[in-house]
Amino acid sequence: MEDLKAYIETGILELYVLGDVTPDEKRQVEEMASKHPEVKAELDEIELSMELYAKENAVEPSEDLRGRILGSLLTNFGDDRNFTAAPPHNESDTYEEEEEEQGNAIVAMPVRKESNFYKYAFAASLALLIASAVAIFNLNNKLQDSNSQLIALQQSKQQFANQVNLMDKELTVFRDTSYKLIRLKGTPKNPASAITLAFSPGKKKVVLDIADMKMAQNDKAHQYQLWALVGGKPVDLGVFDSASDTTASIKEMKSIASADAFAVTLEPRGGSVNPTLDQMVVIGKY
Amino acid sequence: MSKKRKISLSEDELVLSLRNHEKVAIEALYDMYSSSLFGVISRIVVDTAIAEDILQETFVKIWHSFSSYSTEKGRLFTWMVNIARNLAIDKIRSKDFKNQNKNQEIENNVAFIDEQRNTVYKPELMGVKDLVQTLKPDQKSIIDLVYFKGYTHVEAAEELGIPLGTIKTRLRMGIQELRKHFN
Repeated sequence: MEDLKAYIETGILELYVLGDVTPDEKRQVEEMASKHPEVKAELDEIELSMELYAKENAVEPSEDLRGRILGSLLTNFGDDRNFTAAPPHNESDTYEEEEEEQGNAIVAMPVRKESNFYKYAFAASLALLIASAVAIFNLNNKLQDSNSQLIALQQSKQQFANQVNLMDKELTVFRDTSYKLIRLKGTPKNPASAITLAFSPGKKKVVLDIADMKMAQNDKAHQYQLWALVGGKPVDLGVFDSASDTTASIKEMKSIASADAFAVTLEPRGGSVNPTLDQMVVIGKY
Repeated sequence: MSKKRKISLSEDELVLSLRNHEKVAIEALYDMYSSSLFGVISRIVVDTAIAEDILQETFVKIWHSFSSYSTEKGRLFTWMVNIARNLAIDKIRSKDFKNQNKNQEIENNVAFIDEQRNTVYKPELMGVKDLVQTLKPDQKSIIDLVYFKGYTHVEAAEELGIPLGTIKTRLRMGIQELRKHFN
C-alpha cells in the first residue's frame, strides 16, 4: 500500500496523462493501473481534471471548420462502411506500436497523394510533350509538302504565262501581214525534213515554226544552224535543237534585213562560222 | 442557415457508436471535444490556419485509428488530446514549418500566446479566473508549458531553471489543485 502511494507521489501518473512519458514508463503505468484499482482511480481523477482544465481553456474553432472537418471524415465514411473489415484491434499489441502504425498510415496518405499527383502531372506533361513533338513533326512535313506544291504551282503558272506570251507572239507573227511564210524543204539527202519560217524584211525579223518542224533528232554534239543567203553569202541566224522545249512553238532567230534564201545545216553544237554545206538539211527561197 | 444544434452523448455511448462507425458519432465527437482540442492545439501552433489544419488531422487520425483506443487505457479525451498535441508538436518541430518561419522561438511565445489567447477567452469560461487564483503561478506555468506548449517536463525544467524533481512535484501539486477546484 505504501509502495503504491509512493508510486503515485512520484508524479509519473501526471506525466502519463500529459503524454510526457517514455514507452517503457507508459507500459509500466498501464500495468500498474490494471493491477491496482487505487492507481486506476488516481489516474482517472487526473485525467478528468486535465480534461476539465482543457475545457476551461477551450478555444472555439471557426464555424466553417466544423463542416470542413466533418465533410472530410464523412467523405471517407462511405469507404469505411464498405470495408467493414477495419483493422481488428489486437489487445496484445502495445499502444505505441499501434498508434505509430496507424499514425504512419494516416500521415503518409496526403504525402503519397501529393507525390502521386506530381508523378501523374509529370507523366501527363511528358505525354503532352511527345504528342506535341509528333504533331509538330507531322505539321512540318505537311508544310514542306505544301511548300513544294506551291513552288510547283508557281512554276507551272510561270510556264503557262510564258506559253501565253509565246502564243501572243505567234499570233502577232501570223496576223502581221509584213511576214512572209517560207517553207524550207528537204535536200535530196534529207527528203523528209521540212521547216517553216516567217520573215519580215521590214521588221528585220526571222521566226522559226518550231512546233511544226520535221527534222531528224540531233544528238548532243550537234545543233541545227539557220543561215540566210544574202548575195550568195551565208549569214548566221542562230542555232536550234530539233527537240526543243515544248513551251516554245516558235523561235525568234537573229535579225536580218534581206535574204535571198534560207537554209539549215547540221553543225557542231554552238554553231559554226561557215556552214558545212554537205550537212545541209533543208533549204527554201524567199 | 441557423447554427446546428450541438450533439452530445455520454462517453460510453460515444465510444460505442464510434466503434460502430456511426455518422452521428463523429458529429458528437466534434461538438463535444473540438473546442477543447483546439484550445490545446492553438496554444502550441499560433497560426490559426495551421492550427485548424492540425485539428482536422487530429480528427482524421482519431477516426482512422479509433480501433487502437480502449477504455481500459483511460479517458477518451486523454487519448485524443495526446494525438492532437503530438500532431501539433510534430508540426512546429518539422523542418518546413521552421523554414516558413511562421513560428516564433517557443521561449518567446510563452508570454505572447497567453496575452493573445486571454483576449479571446469566452465569457462563459470566466471560471478560469478563479482557476488562476486557485493555481499558484509557478504551478500554472509548469502545467501550461507541458500541457499547452508541448514541452516535456525535462525541457520545462531547463526553461525554468528548476530541478527535475521540483518540476514533477509542482506539476503534481498543480494538478491536485485543479482536482480540488473541479470537485
